[in-house]
Amino acid sequence: MKKLRLYYEEYNRRPYQLLWRHFVTQQFALFGLLSLLSLLLIAIFSPLFTPHDPYLQNSALLNQVPSWQNGGQVAYPFGTDDLGRDLLSRLMLGCSYTFGTALLAVFGSLAAGLLLGGLAGMSKGVKSSIFNHLLDLALTIPSLLFAIVIVAVLGPGLQNTLWAVMLALLPQFVHAVRHEIQHQLKQDYVIAYRLDGANNLQILWSVILPGLWEPLTLLFTMALSTAILDIAAIGFLGLGAQAPTPEWGTMIADALDAIYLAPWTVALPGLLIFITVLSINLVGDGLRVAMKKRREI
Amino acid sequence: MQLLDIRNLTLELQTPDGAIRAVDRVNLTLKEGEVRGLVGESGSGKSLIAKAIMGVLHERWRITADRFHWCGEDLLRLPYQKQRQIISRDIAMIYQEPSRSMDPTAPIGEQLAESIPDHLLQGVSWWQRSYFRRKKAEALLHKVGIRDHKAVLSSYPYQLSEGVCQKISIAMAIAKDPKLLIADEPTTALESTTQSQLFRMLASFNQLRGMSVLLISHELETVARNTDTLSVLYCGQLVEAGETKDVLQSPRHHYTDALVRSVPEFQPDLGFKQPLYALPGSIPTLQHLPIGCRLGPRCPNARKECVKTPVPERQQNHHYSCHFPLQQRGSDE
Amino acid sequence: MSKLLEVKALSKSYQKASGLFKSEKIQALQDISFSLNAGETLAILGENGSGKSTLAKLLVGIEQPDSGEIFYAGQPLNCQDYGKTNHLIRYIFQDPARSLNPNQKISEILHAVLTYSTVLTFEQREQKISQILRQLGLLKEHGNYYPHMFSGGQLQRVALARALILDPKILILDEALTAIDPSLRAQIVNVLLELQQDTGIAFLLITNQLRLVQHVADQTLILHRGQITDYGTTTTIFSAPEHDYSRRLINSAQWN
Repeated sequence: MKKLRLYYEEYNRRPYQLLWRHFVTQQFALFGLLSLLSLLLIAIFSPLFTPHDPYLQNSALLNQVPSWQNGGQVAYPFGTDDLGRDLLSRLMLGCSYTFGTALLAVFGSLAAGLLLGGLAGMSKGVKSSIFNHLLDLALTIPSLLFAIVIVAVLGPGLQNTLWAVMLALLPQFVHAVRHEIQHQLKQDYVIAYRLDGANNLQILWSVILPGLWEPLTLLFTMALSTAILDIAAIGFLGLGAQAPTPEWGTMIADALDAIYLAPWTVALPGLLIFITVLSINLVGDGLRVAMKKRREI
Repeated sequence: MQLLDIRNLTLELQTPDGAIRAVDRVNLTLKEGEVRGLVGESGSGKSLIAKAIMGVLHERWRITADRFHWCGEDLLRLPYQKQRQIISRDIAMIYQEPSRSMDPTAPIGEQLAESIPDHLLQGVSWWQRSYFRRKKAEALLHKVGIRDHKAVLSSYPYQLSEGVCQKISIAMAIAKDPKLLIADEPTTALESTTQSQLFRMLASFNQLRGMSVLLISHELETVARNTDTLSVLYCGQLVEAGETKDVLQSPRHHYTDALVRSVPEFQPDLGFKQPLYALPGSIPTLQHLPIGCRLGPRCPNARKECVKTPVPERQQNHHYSCHFPLQQRGSDE
Repeated sequence: MSKLLEVKALSKSYQKASGLFKSEKIQALQDISFSLNAGETLAILGENGSGKSTLAKLLVGIEQPDSGEIFYAGQPLNCQDYGKTNHLIRYIFQDPARSLNPNQKISEILHAVLTYSTVLTFEQREQKISQILRQLGLLKEHGNYYPHMFSGGQLQRVALARALILDPKILILDEALTAIDPSLRAQIVNVLLELQQDTGIAFLLITNQLRLVQHVADQTLILHRGQITDYGTTTTIFSAPEHDYSRRLINSAQWN
C-alpha cells in the first residue's frame, strides 16, 4: 500500500503502529483477527440476536436436519437437537458461554498475574526466591488437570469452571510477568532512570509496564486458546456447565449418544470450537512474527 | 597472481519501499601475499562485502557483479556446490566477537580438531586419526602463541578471554592453510596489548606462509600500520583505493581527507584540546541514501555535478572517484 | 582553584561464588585516590577487569564503596542520594541504544528527567529541552523521534543531552566513545571540548584509545587489577611511565 509521496516526509511511527503494519501483511493472521472479532461480537450480542429462544423445546421438530440437506428448513438453519431446540441459537449463546467465560477467565488471570508477578518481580532476597520457586512448582501441573481438581473441590457448574480455569492459568502469567520484570530491571535504561532520580513506583509505571505489553499479549492469546479448550473439556466431562446451558462442550456430550442419528449436533459445536481456537492461534502466530520482524531493519 | 578480482559489485535488498543498494559498484582486487585494508564506518557495507566473498549472505540480498573472480574462476557462474568447495578450501574468516562466533556447547579441542581438513590426514590409518587430529590441534595452538594447550583444549569458549578466543579463531582459520584470510574487525573487542600481538601474528603469517589478508576495520590507525594497500568505503561506494602510504599522505577524496584529519594520530601539529576536523552531519541511513555521490550532502566541496555518481579515475595505482578531487600533496606534507 | 572532586582510599570488593558452598572475595578496587579540578579531563586507562567500570559506578552511585570517601568541593558526598547528586555528577553508558527506553520518544525521556529531578513548569522544561538539543546539534523535531530511528552517533548525542540537561559539573564517560565511528567521534569530542571551555565542566573519560587520551586529557590514571599503577599529568605518564605494566600499555599503542 504505497502512499503518494509528493514531499519526502518522515514517518514517526510509534512502535505499535510498526507492529500493526507488519501484522497486516500476513493474510492468515488478518483472517484470524477478523474471525476472532466476529466471534467476540457474537459473544457479546448473542442474547439479542438469536433467531429462536435457545431453551424453547419444540417436540414437533426433533432432530431436524440442517437447512442444506434434504428435508431441512431455512427457519432452522443448523437444524435442531434431540429436544427440538434450534441449534443456531444455541451455538450463538454457547459462544458467549464458552468464549465469553474463557475471556473472563484469562482477563482475571492476567490481572491477578500482574499483581502477584509484579510483587514477586520487584522483590529481592530469600523470601522472593522461595515464593518464586513455589510458583514454578505450580507450573509443572497441566492446566486441565489442575482445573478438574479445583472443580471437583468446588462442585460442578459454569461459574466454578470460571474460577478453576482462572486459577489454573495463574502460574503461567505470574511466571511470565516476574521473568519479564526481572529482565527489564537488569537493563541499562532502568539504571539510567534511577540515576535521573525516579523512585520505584515511577520506574514501574513508565518503564516496566510498557515493556510488559509484548510478552503479555502473546501469553494472552496462548492462554485464551488453552482456556477455551479447558472449559469445553470440563463441560464435556459433565463437570462444567450443566444442561440445559448451551455451552459447546456440554452440547457435544449431550448429543454424543445420538451421533448416528443426528451427527450435525456433535459436529457443529466441535467445528466452532475448532474455528475459535484456530483463529486465536493464527492471531498469536501473526503477532509473534510481527514482533520478530519489527526488531529487524 | 590475482587472487580476488571483483568489478562493480552491487548488493541490493528488496524492501516494500523499493530496492536499496547497500553496496554500489565496488571494485576490489587482491594479489597473492598482499595485506589489504578495507576502511569504512558503519553503513559502509564492508561486512556485507566480506560476507559476499565468503558466500554467506542472506538470501534476500541480490548479488550482481561484472566480474567476481577467484583465482581466475567466476564464482557467480559456478553451481552452489562448486562455489562452497572452492571457498571452503581457500578462504577463511575471523570475526569481531570471537567468543560469540564459536560453538558454546563444544570444548575448544573438539572444535579445533573438527576444523582440520581431511586432506591433511591422508595416509593415516583410521584408528590413528583422532590422535593425529589432536596432535595437529596442539601444534596449531603453539603456532598462534598459546603455550598452555592442555588447559585451553578442554575449556569452553565462555571460560576464556576474548584475546585467547581470537587466537583460537585464527588457529582454526589457518588449519586449512587458506590463501586468503578475511579479518572482520578482529581487534575491536580486544585490549591494546593483545591487539598488537594479533597484528604481529597476522604479519608473520603473511610473510612466512604467503597468506593474503583482507583487514576490515573502521579505525584508520589500525589499518594504517598493518596494511600494504587500502580501500576506503563510504555508504557502499568505493571512494578511494591505493597504497596505504600514498592514500594517507595525499588523499584525493574529501572523505579520506576528513577521516585522516579527524584522527589525532595523523596530526602531529594539532594542539592540545584543539577541535578535531569533522565533517558536518551524520552517515545517512539505508532508507535515505543520497543519489549520485553519497558524500554529497556532507562534502565541503560539493557542487551540482555531484548528483551524478563519479566515475572511478586512476593515477599510478591510486584509484579515486570524485568529480572535484583534492590536489596531490607533496610528500613532505 | 579548589578541587572539584576528591577521592580518598576508595575500595570495593565482590563476593563471587566458586564451587558449591564457597565464595571467594574479589578485590575490584583497592585504595584508589585521585582528584579532579573544574575544566579538566581525567582519563582512566586499564584493561578489562582492572576495575575502571567499577570506579565509574562507585562515583555515580550505582554501587556503594566498602571504604573510602568522596568529596565534592570539599564537602563529603553521598553518591547514592540520586536526587541531590545528579545535579553534580552524570554518567554516559557505553551502549546508547541500551540506555534509552525504546518505547518513549526523546522529548518524553528528557521531560521525565526534568520532572524527576527539578521543579520546573512545563514551558520551562520545553525551553530547556530545545536549548540542549540545539547545543548538541540536534533539531527540535528530533524530540518526536523514537530511539530506534537514530543512528549510533546521534544516539550518543541524545544520551549526552539527557546527561547534560541537568547542568552537571562532572560527566563520566564509561567507554562512551569506543563504539562510535571515527568521524562521529570527532564531532562528539569537539562538542565536549567546546562545552568544557564554555561551562568549565570536568570529564572523567574511561577509554582505551591512547591517542585520544593524549589529545584531550589533562591527567591520566592507569589501573591494573584494581590498583593504581600510575597517576599524574598525561605528558609525564606518556613520556616516562613508572610501572612495567604502564610501559607495556603505552608501547602497545605505538605498534597498532
